Amino acid sequence: MSKQKILMIICVVVFLLGIAGSILVLLTPHGTQVNIVQDGIVLYTIDLTTAQDQTLEIEYKGRTNIVQIENGRIRMLEAECPDQTCVHMGWLDSGAMPIVCLPNHLSIEYAGSGDNIDAVIR
Amino acid sequence: MLQSKEEKCMKRKFNRIFLVLSGIFIMILAVSSLVMVLFFPELLSFGTSDNGEATKELFAMDTYITMTAHGWDAETAVAEAADKLTELEQLWSVTEPESEIYAVNQSNGQAVSVSSETEDLLSFALQMAEKTKGALEPTIYPVLKAWGFTTEENRVPSDFEITELLKNVGYERVHMEDGSVWLENGIMLDLGAVGKGYAGDLAAQILRDNGITSALLDLGGNIQTIGTKPDGSFWKLGLQAPFSEGTLGILEISNKAVVTSGAYERYFIGEDGKRYGHIIDPVTGYPAENGLASVTVIADEGRLCDALSTSLFVMGADRAMEYWQLHQNFDMILITEDGEIYLTDGIADMFTLDSYHSNMKVNVIEDE
Repeated sequence: MSKQKILMIICVVVFLLGIAGSILVLLTPHGTQVNIVQDGIVLYTIDLTTAQDQTLEIEYKGRTNIVQIENGRIRMLEAECPDQTCVHMGWLDSGAMPIVCLPNHLSIEYAGSGDNIDAVIR
Repeated sequence: MLQSKEEKCMKRKFNRIFLVLSGIFIMILAVSSLVMVLFFPELLSFGTSDNGEATKELFAMDTYITMTAHGWDAETAVAEAADKLTELEQLWSVTEPESEIYAVNQSNGQAVSVSSETEDLLSFALQMAEKTKGALEPTIYPVLKAWGFTTEENRVPSDFEITELLKNVGYERVHMEDGSVWLENGIMLDLGAVGKGYAGDLAAQILRDNGITSALLDLGGNIQTIGTKPDGSFWKLGLQAPFSEGTLGILEISNKAVVTSGAYERYFIGEDGKRYGHIIDPVTGYPAENGLASVTVIADEGRLCDALSTSLFVMGADRAMEYWQLHQNFDMILITEDGEIYLTDGIADMFTLDSYHSNMKVNVIEDE
């Protein structure tokens, strides 16, 4: 009986730890640096807190994607691709889920903490 | 008895199932936490991070300032530094009637006694004006105003207007003696080109005096660092691309200040369709236009970075390189309008172009 109790307690503790851990992971603070990447090459690194509202046109094999930055947010406004998945993803909001346009080899993602820059010299 | 035996048997079975299930459960959790530790190690350093980090953001010196400091009682340190910055703004504003600079400008040639900070800043500005042969000009304000760069109501002044205004420009006509300043008739002082850098130096000094050994100050893009990052690695700074949004490359530094000047920061398109940048060549009274897109200066002191980034931009690439050969107490990155990069050999290894810009031609300037 006491063995069972101990096991139960361990289970509960580990379970709670697991929940706490998952919450931490889900709430992982992503920075404000966003990379626009094509074929693994970073085309633009943009700090959303300082970037002006604008649209960027990015071409891939004659097809154009239009990226929009507005009020410190970024999204794929238009994409010349059949599925439009990236456009439907809306604004980028998760550090874990980049906006990807597979047909045009383009992705918009938060810069990983590894190569995050500390500040921008302007 | 028999029933209770059966019951016991059932209970044991349940126990076993329970044990197995909880075993599996624990294993899943163990694996997931292991994954967590492996892939998100920064989460673990949450509470036990170094001996304290404090961040402070404020609006002062006409710009947005962010300070992040690490060390014992970083909180107090950044608060004191912020107070200092606010105080300095009140001393050096050209437009605030309470400021010392304002008082000097309105004194009609009378000597005005100023604080030691203002005295230091002014004597540094005058010294740099002399060293740069007037490329840094602390009395250019009336011309800057005529172009509308102080009010954002931009216009192109007539040649005549500029010629007239330039008659009242000249740092030699600013006089200092025993903590007092007086200006010759018509001269107006504006320490904007060095004030932010100097303020950064003084704020950094306050942090150091408070025992801070690692800090980053961002004064609207003027960067001032103390030491390295808390983990001992260099600060990674993105260098703003002058032609497009985003960065051009990464500069890694420690314990240095960095300031960039470029016409891209503030400019307007005139009715003639021409682009006019906000850095005025004190000789012509017109925006400096000599093929440079931006100048970045890296040095121990923010004041030197600030003064040089502006004046080297006015000088143009050739004269800037001559100046560097002569003094060499700083490093610089010049970016030309046609997309070439010139950097001094002291930082050549510390600067990495972003892959997207890797086609830009990089030239290393060496000591001759």
